[in-house]
Amino acid sequence: MTIFNRNDSKPADGKSPAIDAAQTPRPVEQPRSQAYAQPLSPPAKTGAPMASVISKALKITGQLESTEDIQIDGEIDGDVRGVGVKIGNNAKVKGTVYGDEVELAGTIDGRIEAKKVILTGTARMSGDVSHQDIKIESGAFIDGNLKPDFGKTAGSKPVVAPFKPVAAVTPSTPEKAAEARH
Amino acid sequence: MGLSMFALSRRSDTRFAPARGAIDLPPSYFDAGLRVRGVIEVEGELTVQGVIAGRIAALKLIIAPGGRVEGDIVAREVVVAGFLNGRIFAPTVTVEETAHIEGRIFHNVITVARGAHFDGRMPWRPINFFETLDQLPETQP
Repeated sequence: MTIFNRNDSKPADGKSPAIDAAQTPRPVEQPRSQAYAQPLSPPAKTGAPMASVISKALKITGQLESTEDIQIDGEIDGDVRGVGVKIGNNAKVKGTVYGDEVELAGTIDGRIEAKKVILTGTARMSGDVSHQDIKIESGAFIDGNLKPDFGKTAGSKPVVAPFKPVAAVTPSTPEKAAEARH
Repeated sequence: MGLSMFALSRRSDTRFAPARGAIDLPPSYFDAGLRVRGVIEVEGELTVQGVIAGRIAALKLIIAPGGRVEGDIVAREVVVAGFLNGRIFAPTVTVEETAHIEGRIFHNVITVARGAHFDGRMPWRPINFFETLDQLPETQP
């Protein structure tokens, strides 16, 4: 079911034309089957764009862990563990966020430990970020240290940062500077 | 502790209208892989397929088949089709045939499907019991 939901939510992704082609023959079936599903099975009507959705009206005090993706738009006071964690625009997390890929558009007061970190323009990050791969968009607020951590998956991404004298470090990318020093 | 939990139900006079606010807000969904430990407060609808250990306050809670909740639930409407070990405090409760419940259901209106597994008690309460529910009674299920 989650597979269908994902395809439903982002058809304009352009990710795989094969999926689009597979969907086009049955544009009539889809709304009909959903209309049937709505009164019968509760989970079918969520129309979840991701595996789990924590909507903006939800507040959790405690721990959250998932073996799948999580979309957070609400407020969480505690740690979050997931595979892909998306923290939406008005979301707030107080605690550590662990994951393979963490995309932050909201607020984190705590830490991020992830292989891939994306801080969008609306992100507000108070705390340290431990990452292998990071993208910081203009406008993101960061109050903390960025620490590249390649210890977890050895070999997946060898550190081949070219050696640079400290004076030649580009000011725009502090994380590369840290990488070069390592 | 109890105050924030029930602030939701005090907010409006239409508190026992059939979860109108739940329709306005985007529903939350806990997938089968999600495990939560702690207190959950939703001003809307929550569907659980994962595992929750803790207290839940919601407008409408749906425990889908495969979902597991251990703890107390306070809501306007609860639909159980999964596993529950704990107490429900809700004016409207629906127990589906796939449900497995151990505990108590404090209700005003209840529907229990044939085939549901229920071990416990279902005390009926007048509607104002739920309106004035400031603190959960300390009963052991």
